[in-house]
Amino acid sequence: MHWGMVIDLRRCIGCHACTVACQVENKLPLNERWNKVFTVGPEGEFPLVTSHFLPRPCMHCQDAPCVDGCPTGASQRRPDGIIIVHGERCIGCKFCMLVCPYGVRQFAAEKGIVQKCHLCYERLERGEMPRCVETCQLKARHAGDLDDPGSEVTALIKQANARPLYPYLGTKPSVYYIFP
Amino acid sequence: MAGNIEVKKAACYFCHMNCGMLVHVEDGVVKKVTGDPEHPFNQGAQCPRGASAIDHLNHINRVNYPLKRVGERGSGNFKRVSWEEALEDIAARLKKYKAEYGAESIATAGGTNRTDDWARRRFFNLLGSPNVVHTSPVCWIPNFLIETAIYGWSAFDPEIMGSRCVVVWGHNPGASYLPEMRGLLEAREKNGTKIIVIDPRYSETAARADIWLPIRPGSDCALALAWLNVIINEELYDADFVENWTVGFEELRERVQEYTPEWAEAKTWVPAERIAMAARTYATSRPACIQWGVATDQLGRATSAVAQARAVLRAICGNLDVPGGDVMPGPHPTFITDVEMELNELLPEEQRAKQLGADRFKLSTWPGYKLLNEQLQRVWGKGLPAEWMCEASPPVLWRAILTGKPYPVKALIVLADNPLSSYANSRLVYEALNKLDLLVVMDYWLTPTAALADYVLPAASWLERPVLTTTYGVSDWLIASERAIQPLYERKTDYDFWRALGIKMGQGEYWPWQTNEEVFQYRLESLGYGLETYEDFVRGVRFDFAPREYYKYLEKGFATPSGKVELKSSILETLGYDPLPHYVEPPFSPEATPELARDYPLILIAGGGFMPFFHSEHRQITRLRLLHPEPRVAINPELAQKLAIKEGDWVWIETPKGKVKQRAKITTAVPPGVVQAERGWWYPEKGVKDLFGIWESNINVCLDDDPDTCDPACGSWCTRTILCRIAKVEG
Repeated sequence: MHWGMVIDLRRCIGCHACTVACQVENKLPLNERWNKVFTVGPEGEFPLVTSHFLPRPCMHCQDAPCVDGCPTGASQRRPDGIIIVHGERCIGCKFCMLVCPYGVRQFAAEKGIVQKCHLCYERLERGEMPRCVETCQLKARHAGDLDDPGSEVTALIKQANARPLYPYLGTKPSVYYIFP
Repeated sequence: MAGNIEVKKAACYFCHMNCGMLVHVEDGVVKKVTGDPEHPFNQGAQCPRGASAIDHLNHINRVNYPLKRVGERGSGNFKRVSWEEALEDIAARLKKYKAEYGAESIATAGGTNRTDDWARRRFFNLLGSPNVVHTSPVCWIPNFLIETAIYGWSAFDPEIMGSRCVVVWGHNPGASYLPEMRGLLEAREKNGTKIIVIDPRYSETAARADIWLPIRPGSDCALALAWLNVIINEELYDADFVENWTVGFEELRERVQEYTPEWAEAKTWVPAERIAMAARTYATSRPACIQWGVATDQLGRATSAVAQARAVLRAICGNLDVPGGDVMPGPHPTFITDVEMELNELLPEEQRAKQLGADRFKLSTWPGYKLLNEQLQRVWGKGLPAEWMCEASPPVLWRAILTGKPYPVKALIVLADNPLSSYANSRLVYEALNKLDLLVVMDYWLTPTAALADYVLPAASWLERPVLTTTYGVSDWLIASERAIQPLYERKTDYDFWRALGIKMGQGEYWPWQTNEEVFQYRLESLGYGLETYEDFVRGVRFDFAPREYYKYLEKGFATPSGKVELKSSILETLGYDPLPHYVEPPFSPEATPELARDYPLILIAGGGFMPFFHSEHRQITRLRLLHPEPRVAINPELAQKLAIKEGDWVWIETPKGKVKQRAKITTAVPPGVVQAERGWWYPEKGVKDLFGIWESNINVCLDDDPDTCDPACGSWCTRTILCRIAKVEG
């Protein structure tokens, strides 16, 4: 079992519902966002322009610099591929934030620890989809088992040639994008 | 230990989609709000507004009790009073105005469908006043009415999944109707549907188009006429349908000869060949549909001309009421629709004649409503709701309040609306609101308009009320949703308000249903499900979609005087308007007002929806506001460089009517000569004494609503093409 995600950038419309629903689900402070959406473009001269949106959750890398770099073992890779932060072990040193190439980790000042997207693993365990997947009006997000050749996510990766962000970093992300 | 947990099937009311929501309620407290997977629109999803619903419900700044003004109007000093005291005084004053000045001296303003609008109309019909206004002239209604005049209902139900080509015209579902946007993208993925987007700006939707036509703002009419020219001259129309089901085709053919693609190129800034190519794509991809978009309802005097040309376009291409085309749903055959609840028949003829603006904007007021309804009754058995489709003109109302002409208007009751931010010419609106003897505002918040009120009444929002979604009673389906919790504090629904006020005004016999649920139950009884309560209906039935019928005209004919599609409209002719499609330039443009263009050389688009906000709402929901903290005006890099404006600079946007500032957003989404400002901005955090900063960034300060510039048929004012100049805010 290897949980992963496919985000279809042909569909994402930049509404930020995933950002907000994630905040509400995980009871985050107003300024902490585990699931930011970036706007890329428009590029080019009017009217010959292009643009798209880029949601950026934790990539759940299988060779995760944040796990390797964590001095207390708070950042861990679960057997199902999800990278989590054990709050009680985190000392807030922020080293993981420094080494994460995707900038997805956030310092929760009032708790003094680092937090980030954990793919709503508690929901997954209850048989529910991550909140960002559930809330997406455009159905741009899909979660599933990357090890299962019959799963929706593996099919999408194959059909649409989905690929991770910055694969050359060698971190083996579990989040794949279908680029427009 | 968990308490008493229930999951309620509610409906979001933060836009028109009314997406289904599952609300987890524990011992009367809302714990969680998620999308309802069984709901056909959102299929379990939510937009950011729906996802933050609990923030809205429990916001510290909600109005929770009736407030009465103490001290000067606008001083922001209120004291808490009881509902009984407020209603007693309001009713006494309304009776006084009615006795002294006539019922027409009492008016009401509404916004965008956050209320049970038929209840407002019922109250006003019983009161005897025709002066109900909404933002309706700039939202949907001109299109609906023009289409109804031409083919007897609005073809507002595009069947995207069955279409080979969808035209998205002046509409950006990528920012405003997300389920609809999903439908578009799925149609293309599954069926290869072509998407044509017509928008001066590179919008979220334009970014996904197969063909994007970036027209000059406000030149939609030229484009539609050129399409007609190409399609008729190249004989790409549906000859059978035209021959059997239309009247006036020869006159149409003659009329459109002057509107060549070359002529349209100069007007639209789109190359003639591209215009022709898009016209051919639309006409030869059958079935095709054209989605309604709000932008063309906001072109001032050019508004209804666009609707007319486009309606004719749909018809001659054979797309009306066909699978995958533009379906005319008609009213729901069985359940009691809005118009049947309004009691329009009780408004006396002499009071109808007093409707403000009815002497000039004849299609959207009683003269047009009467003509249309005669036809609709004959064919559909039901007419259109007067609410929205038969209304006084807001610009005329403001002027009547200020001048006392043609008669005095003393009182205004505002629900689900914030006229200071949502109508053009805000300073004039401000003066009018100040001149009123009585201003009553029912809202969730102390808005800039509420700050001026004599009474501010607390409104229940969608988690606190049931919702019956019927598209204003003009579609053949309904979706029923229940109340998640009883209203908190002393909040009430608008139905509760109108009923309570109605009883005090002596209307008691007409308000027999004590609650929203009772009245909804009454409206649904004729469906024959025989359920005991409204909640039973929601839980057991919830949806009622009448069987889809196509080609209804084969049996019924079209609901027009000739029974056919009137390409040359006899109803428009009777009302004194040009019965054939024709070109109208919007009132403010380099062409219409060249003298103005010398000082105000840029074209301003003063509208367009944007996430995460809807109209002027949600600025106080911190979670959402942090995503979009300030208003932004889109400026092309070339123009920005010329004016030394940098990303994020505060920029003055100035027209002859006034100036406001917004932050520069440097983007190639707009061409160099065009800027687009955001609408609906006020600053809830700025405090009541400054009217929440309503003069700072509210683009409506810059817009004119002079009735002479409004659409002659429907009274629409112009927001989508205004002349302006911009400059960096110094210091």
